[in-house]
Amino acid sequence: MFDLVEAFHRPSSIREALRLLHAGGRRARIVAGGTDVVVRADPEIRSLVDITRLGLTYIKRSGGAWAIGATTTMAQIEHSAALRALAGGILVEAAKGCGSVQLRNMATLGGNLANASPAADTAAPLLVLDAQVVVAGERSRRTLALADFFLKPGETALGKALLVEILIPAPPRGARTAWSFQKLGRTESDISVVNAAAGLQVDGKGVCKWCRIALGAVAPVPLRARAAEALVTGRKLDGSLVEQAAAEAAREASPITDIRATAEYRREMCRVLVKRALAECAARAGCSL
Amino acid sequence: MSGDRAVVGQNLRKVDGVKLVTGRPAFTDDIHLPGMLIGKILPSPHAHARIKRIDTGKARALPGVHAVLTYKDVPRVPHTTAGQAWPEPSPYDTYLLDNKVRFVGDRVAAVAAETRAIAEKALRLIEVEYEVLPAVLEIEQAMASGVAVIHDEPDSTKIFDREHNIAGYILREIGNVEEGFRASDLIFEREFRTGRQQHCPLEPHVAIAWLDADQRLVIRTSTQVPYHARRQVAMILQIPVSRVHVIKPRIGGGFGGKQEMLLEDITGALALATKRPVKIEFTREEEFYMARSRHPQILRMKMGVKRDGTIVASQLTVLATTGAYGSHSTTVQGNTGSKVLPLYRAEHMRFECHVVYTNTPVAGAFRGYGCPQGFFAQETLVDEIAEELGRDPVEFRRQNMIRLGDIDKLSAQLGEGKEGLPRHIRSCGLPECLDRAAAAVDWDGKRNAAGGPAHLKRGVGMAATMQGSGIAGVDWASAFLKMNEDGSFFLQVGAADVGAGADTVLAQIAAETLGVSLDKVVITSGDTDITPFDVGAYASSTTIISGGAVRKAAEKVRAHVLDMAAKMLDAPVDKLECGDNQVYTICECRKAVSMAELAMHAMYKEKTQIMDGASHFNTDSPPPFCVTFAEVEVDTETGKVRVLHLVTAVDPGTAINPMQAEGQVEGAVAQGLGYALIEELLLDGQGRPRNASFLDYKIFSAKDMPRLTTILVETDEPLGPFGAKSISEVPINGPAPAIANAIYHAVGIRLRKLPIRPEDVLRELREKLPTL
Ligand SMILES: Cc1cc2nc3c(=O)[nH]c(=O)nc-3n(C[C@H](O)[C@H](O)[C@H](O)COP(=O)(O)OP(=O)(O)OC[C@H]3O[C@@H](n4cnc5c(N)ncnc54)[C@H](O)[C@@H]3O)c2cc1C
Repeated sequence: MFDLVEAFHRPSSIREALRLLHAGGRRARIVAGGTDVVVRADPEIRSLVDITRLGLTYIKRSGGAWAIGATTTMAQIEHSAALRALAGGILVEAAKGCGSVQLRNMATLGGNLANASPAADTAAPLLVLDAQVVVAGERSRRTLALADFFLKPGETALGKALLVEILIPAPPRGARTAWSFQKLGRTESDISVVNAAAGLQVDGKGVCKWCRIALGAVAPVPLRARAAEALVTGRKLDGSLVEQAAAEAAREASPITDIRATAEYRREMCRVLVKRALAECAARAGCSL
Repeated sequence: MSGDRAVVGQNLRKVDGVKLVTGRPAFTDDIHLPGMLIGKILPSPHAHARIKRIDTGKARALPGVHAVLTYKDVPRVPHTTAGQAWPEPSPYDTYLLDNKVRFVGDRVAAVAAETRAIAEKALRLIEVEYEVLPAVLEIEQAMASGVAVIHDEPDSTKIFDREHNIAGYILREIGNVEEGFRASDLIFEREFRTGRQQHCPLEPHVAIAWLDADQRLVIRTSTQVPYHARRQVAMILQIPVSRVHVIKPRIGGGFGGKQEMLLEDITGALALATKRPVKIEFTREEEFYMARSRHPQILRMKMGVKRDGTIVASQLTVLATTGAYGSHSTTVQGNTGSKVLPLYRAEHMRFECHVVYTNTPVAGAFRGYGCPQGFFAQETLVDEIAEELGRDPVEFRRQNMIRLGDIDKLSAQLGEGKEGLPRHIRSCGLPECLDRAAAAVDWDGKRNAAGGPAHLKRGVGMAATMQGSGIAGVDWASAFLKMNEDGSFFLQVGAADVGAGADTVLAQIAAETLGVSLDKVVITSGDTDITPFDVGAYASSTTIISGGAVRKAAEKVRAHVLDMAAKMLDAPVDKLECGDNQVYTICECRKAVSMAELAMHAMYKEKTQIMDGASHFNTDSPPPFCVTFAEVEVDTETGKVRVLHLVTAVDPGTAINPMQAEGQVEGAVAQGLGYALIEELLLDGQGRPRNASFLDYKIFSAKDMPRLTTILVETDEPLGPFGAKSISEVPINGPAPAIANAIYHAVGIRLRKLPIRPEDVLRELREKLPTL
């Protein structure tokens, strides 16, 4: 598998990790949980830089905002009682649905994002939460919106830098705020055929004040369905609006055909999952459709 | 049936269980021999091509490479890789290495090198110039005139019609179906399609070959057929059988994929060429497309019935592909007719089948052996007929199904590639299977209450199936037993435990017959130097055939034991009984001698080794029966089908070890569920595999399994040891049709193609209800 790998580094500081990464050039690769890196086994790789000892494994809360270290595992997220209170637990739900127990014990949140698969399960909930990512380069740190992080399949705005932290600003709260995560796979432990997350807030009259809808596995990158969001925002939530928004989201998608499903099926499932996500949100926010 | 039995019928622990769960070095790959080389096979990148030029110079020159073999270096011996009794009914259309490749993954060359990395590098250094030929990928095109001929080599034999790519053809009829259809009130005819399922054994194919101190070729291999493999390797490598020693260690699952001489020949050839131990192990990717898979079929099923529900005529017409080579081609397909149609007592039956070559991965034996395809067609059609007649599917089946005392005449026409023998039904638990499984799923309640929330619809469906227990008149086995000083026995069988528990069951049969506890039987199996002949683990034969041999051998040894005891206890033999590890008198004066005392006496006083052996075969293949009930939930928006509850009731005759029998049922239905809903090896337009990994080819994992209810309905089969028939195959047949029928009950659509994918369900739903 990795017959040609010459070095496996386990640095203990971010600075050291970045130095090794740069020294290795094109043929060096960061490895966190390794559940993507090892499976892909890119024969170009000559050195691996393990980042799991950099102190980037944590879940912190300050006020309503959250900071999650890049090497926090899916299992840690899944079992975090605190995170369950965030946004109706959609991030926890997404983590829980990733692969198997063994996989979640290894797979990290940072790896899920940095891997830049359009199907990454945590991307949609994090997009809905307006998450940002903190990126450490050799000279500087920068923070960018997750929505700007994904460029195309397998490619991010990272460059030769380290994703160190995921920031989640305080999301809207209150009884009329609700969230939903939906995943469709072929089996119980499968990469998503389509996934969707939604969050919304309504006022006392059932008018939507705020709405986020995101989709996975239906475009080159995890997608914010902005047109669908715009359609919903400012209008009274009802069954027909949900249907319209779902159809709009499906139009925003640009799915492909692959081994898991055809493009047509994926587009149709966008509609179904967005409809289900919004309907679930509506129900949780106390609106009857 | 096990009331007064101490060992048979008891849930005793697997005799090899501890070593397996504690990770002892038990499997083929668990040894490392000094100097062992790694072998790799260069797979063809083309579906159909001739090798115009092959240059191995650079590969041979690579340091660490010890051998590179191409067709130029090995004997050309047409053979089949199917591990079947001689003379094999499969065509001899395969070569150790050839100058033509017939599917993506076919052998081009083989390398042995110090490490895997060097071997892989050497493969890349082999220069091959191909003349790419038009490929035949579609099953329906294979017979058309003008398409490429896949087996144009002159020296292959037993091919039915090479010009039209027909590996085998079968036509059998009892009665006269045309007359039958004329006499019917209603006629139903439908087409069905089934997919290419792969066995997915936990342990891929692996073989290690070396020359022992006597320069004999030893092959330690993951096989279901050690004896056939020995015979085939000797023939292919042109060395005497006596110079080959095949060892079958513990096996990590075969499911039919290892009823195949797949790596033994090439690994052996590399060991002979290098004089070093050589190991070849398939990667998971290689296992998917270079090993075997289930034959895809297109089935046309036609049935004629009277208004009163009597099935008058049934006709099944099949087009199947065996892939690039004809391994198991006519025998698997023969089963699609002979084991399926006779489930219902139609007076007129006709089965016709073309098995065609295509430039696709090779199909072979796979648990169910042709029956899953046939039963999918028959059981969904029968469901439709019952519906049409306004009959309950269970009652409709009850009216028509085979019963005790029946003689199945189709089997007489369809044997293992030749005329077979009529099948007499001497035990039949079908009615009780139906009753108990229907109750377990609450059939009556749920048939009248389909539904659920808006987009989730529930339904129940069922299927009835059968199989065989060994191939009548073909499968045979032998066993040998000898007694040790401590009153224990060594049992030697050629039978091949592939993880299904044969060693335990065979040891239980011996222990029961000899009146000793299970720990007093030490079994050695599947070693061609040590154990006597057995055809191997296939056709659901081991318990009934190998078990029959063990029973006979043990009875002979028991007679020797009683003779010895008669002398020691001074009592007539007919007043003696074995039990509790001793021999005792059954008259008033209760005298006894322990097996240990008896053994010491025999060995050191009488100077006699108590030992004996026996061979066994049957002229009939008693069917185990099975019914499968499925409750499903169909998501009408996504097309996803979730199985909520799967009930399987099986009549295996006597369950020698009920716990193991249940385990076999659960394993079979896990594969049956995958076959029904998700498993299919897909090829692209060039014949290349598209999903040769577990990330892309999905199987049912623990998390996907529905609630299972497994019911053993025991009967007493006169032809089986202690009344046993078989169990490991039959439950795989039911899930697909039961699920298809349950989907119909839930949402009113008929799915006639496997696997039943969400997209297909959704499309059918749309066609039925355009407003959805
Ligand atoms: C059987 C199986 C099932 C799976 N199921 C799912 C599923 O259901 N849902 C899902 O979303 N995914 C799934 N995956 C994919 C994978 O497990 C996830 O994407 C996982 O989160 C990756 O994390 P990791 O730590 O293992 O990443 P790694 O494999 O270590 O790294 C992935 C990529 O990100 C880079 N990288 C990792 N961390 C950083 C960092 N901090 N900064 C910069 N670059 C970094 C690496 O260089 C590499 O390119 C599955 C994988 C397998 C093998």
